[in-house]
Amino acid sequence: MFGRFGKKKGNYAYTVARVKAKKSHLFKDDAYSKMLLMSLPEISRFISESGYSEEITELTGKFEGIDLIEHATYRNMAGYFKGILDVSTGELHDMLAAVLQRWDVWNLKVILRGKSFGIDPDSVREDLVPAGELALQELEKMIALETVGEVIDAYCKLTETVIPPEIMDAYKTDGVLTDIEDFLDKEYYRRLLESIDPSSKPTRLLQDYIRNEIDVVNLETLLKLKVEGVVGEQAMRFVIPNGKEIDRKTAERIAAAATVEEAMGAMSKLSFYGDIKDALADTGSLTELVSVLKKVHISQARTFSHLHPLSIIPIIDFMIHKEIEVNNIRTVARGLASGLDRDVIKDLLVVV
Amino acid sequence: MAAEIGTGMVAIAAGLAIGLTGLASGLAERDVGAAAVGAITEDATLFGKTMVLMVLPETIVIFGLVVAILMIFVM
Repeated sequence: MFGRFGKKKGNYAYTVARVKAKKSHLFKDDAYSKMLLMSLPEISRFISESGYSEEITELTGKFEGIDLIEHATYRNMAGYFKGILDVSTGELHDMLAAVLQRWDVWNLKVILRGKSFGIDPDSVREDLVPAGELALQELEKMIALETVGEVIDAYCKLTETVIPPEIMDAYKTDGVLTDIEDFLDKEYYRRLLESIDPSSKPTRLLQDYIRNEIDVVNLETLLKLKVEGVVGEQAMRFVIPNGKEIDRKTAERIAAAATVEEAMGAMSKLSFYGDIKDALADTGSLTELVSVLKKVHISQARTFSHLHPLSIIPIIDFMIHKEIEVNNIRTVARGLASGLDRDVIKDLLVVV
Repeated sequence: MAAEIGTGMVAIAAGLAIGLTGLASGLAERDVGAAAVGAITEDATLFGKTMVLMVLPETIVIFGLVVAILMIFVM
């Protein structure tokens, strides 16, 4: 009875209450419609009046226009996530730290792609989210390195990751980052699942949630590859193990099908098949399918957070919504900056 | 003798009624209090609402107190 009151278990009530209060301040759907009618300086002012003031004020001297919005939004998101991590304690803190390591992988991918395609360091910095284990200073040091190999070595040293030599050899031969990125994703989920001790209900819920997330990610990967004409064993290389409903056999059946319609039979037993059925039937639109899968993922987080309010899931639910808000602001700003039609930008927004 | 034992038993029962409900109130207020402080940290205007929520678990110990008083003075 007193097990859950130990210091080790973490301050779920305090952290979740703070997160719920933060969630109530996120942008409502109509905010994006307003933003679509604004110019870039007006968007900067609008977001600075709605929770991004610190970042906008801090960066106004250094950047302007789209650069200011991009830097401010990701910095704000990283600040929120770090803030939540700082106020949490015990096993909750450990689990959050493990979940936030996905941003280390994200940052590494951004830097690697920057190095690989010769993108200038300032553009790389725009997409960094220093919310993981690696601080901004460490990421800056990685940006300053010359080659992809040096960046990977630095990352491996900092995070105690070992990339198999065959993957590095393959990169050295063909210069394609896909295998390295794929390995990093798999390693993130492996470490995350390994860090969860399924002895209590909140931790078991997180485990279930992560395994559901793996299912959604795998399905998205397999379907994207199928549309590109990559099937069978070639597609199976990218499947992340330990999914909840999509085990190796089901994944193989989905991967083996030549078209999306043929794969529908293998997917029919999935619990979220009803949600994706219509989008699957409309195979011409991959964007819609990806958007539907994203919505499935979000609704899973919402359902899980209602099942057990005193767990890590409401916090992850907030993180997903915050990420959506930031991505929507960036989409509107980028769209307007590149002169896209307002209706096209509206279609690109994720509204939940 | 029997009456004295009876009085003693009533006193023990009244003590248990207060003690156990007090413990239950404490356990309930632990989470409610932590959540209330968390909510106020983010939004100070929530103070009034959280105050009401903080008081709710107190009713458990008040019921215990009422039962204890009934036992001592009515039984």
